[in-house]
Amino acid sequence: MRLRHFTYGLLTLLILLAVSQSTSAQALDISSGGLPTITGAVGGSVTGSALVTDDLIVTINFGEVSPLNTNSIVKVTVPIALRSNQPYQVSVSVSGLNNGNAQALQASDIGLGLQNIRKLGGAGQDCNQSTHIIRSPFNNDPALNASVGGSGRVTYPSSLANLSGATIILTGPVLSKNNSIKRQQSDGYVFDAIFTLTPQFFAAGVSSVTLIFTIAPGPNVPC
Amino acid sequence: MPRHTHHIITKSILLTTLLAVAAVTCLGQSTTGTVTMSATVSKFVEINSGGAVTLTGNSGGGVTTDGVNNSPLAVSINLGELGPSNTNSFVTAQVPLKLRSNAAYVLSMAATVTSSGASASRITAADVGFGLGTVSRTGVGVNSGSDTNATSGDPTLAANGSVNGTTGRYEFTAVRSNLSAFSSATTALSGPIIMNAVPRSNANGLTVPAFFAVKPQFFENGTTTISVTFTVTAP
Repeated sequence: MRLRHFTYGLLTLLILLAVSQSTSAQALDISSGGLPTITGAVGGSVTGSALVTDDLIVTINFGEVSPLNTNSIVKVTVPIALRSNQPYQVSVSVSGLNNGNAQALQASDIGLGLQNIRKLGGAGQDCNQSTHIIRSPFNNDPALNASVGGSGRVTYPSSLANLSGATIILTGPVLSKNNSIKRQQSDGYVFDAIFTLTPQFFAAGVSSVTLIFTIAPGPNVPC
Repeated sequence: MPRHTHHIITKSILLTTLLAVAAVTCLGQSTTGTVTMSATVSKFVEINSGGAVTLTGNSGGGVTTDGVNNSPLAVSINLGELGPSNTNSFVTAQVPLKLRSNAAYVLSMAATVTSSGASASRITAADVGFGLGTVSRTGVGVNSGSDTNATSGDPTLAANGSVNGTTGRYEFTAVRSNLSAFSSATTALSGPIIMNAVPRSNANGLTVPAFFAVKPQFFENGTTTISVTFTVTAP
């Protein structure tokens, strides 16, 4: 008898755990926001899912970025979908890209900007008391705002050099209307993360870098 | 262990597994996403014209196709009369070169000289003086560095040539001071990386004048064609 009580108790506990996990997991979600695109590349590519119900796993190969690439800039646009039933914040952390040679590719050579926040699938929570805020200095299209600095090197209003630790890039109120336990095709928001790299006389070599986008509970703003 | 107890434990394990799997598959949500990036920078070198050609000491002739700064190097020069009727001491063509690279470079040159003459008095490769002048690394985006000039500089300098006391013929005698030293691709200049990380639209670079000179003499009459090819590489 005691064993039966223990078993039922254990089952109840597991069910409660599962339900509580469901409840909390649906509160904040980040996923692919659609097919990423690339322009201006020579030998480059970008891979990612076109499905907004898939995880955000994107691989960008900027290709050749020496003067052998005669295009003015390589631009990659990565749509990222967000869902939440509470105020949120999105942060980015960066790892890799530790070139000791100052003339080799540096974090400041890869522009990063956020643009075009829109409803996911045309549906999302309408809030009139708070807005979605792209944190400074990331509210720009780096492809349209690249300039040549005093050293002759191309600079951007914002780049990977502006990321230090987990850097908050976006905050806002609740994103979703419904409390679906599954990712939906709609009912959330999408923004474009834009990455740029201008071909230059960089010191020769191959560079790589990894970015992790994280959504978490944000400042408690009203909807 | 009684069979009844064994049943309950087995069912519990099965149900636990089921719940765990169901929880994961139903949710399919995540709070993180990953973007990985890579880029390749290959070695890059280029040679272009550094500007207009300067032709001096000529009698007749002229620059047929001039150099245009930052354009592909394709210069054509008519040195004019090279017999004694040209009373200038030298006919000299100065061709500005512009080099750019994101790596250490080597500039080599190969030359051919063909003359319609048949005797030893015809113009030969040894009669065409050659040298690279002062190397300049100036302007925004140009890396400072020390270059090695494998030639002897301006071939018309007194130190680089003289009249042969036996034959009476003027000779360019210094190291790599005439085209006979460049019958096959031979290094003329080398050095470290030229450009810092700047875009190709930056028009600066390493500039160096290439001097070609002929001393008018009693050469066998006829016509001579001199063809020179510069090649820059990143070894």
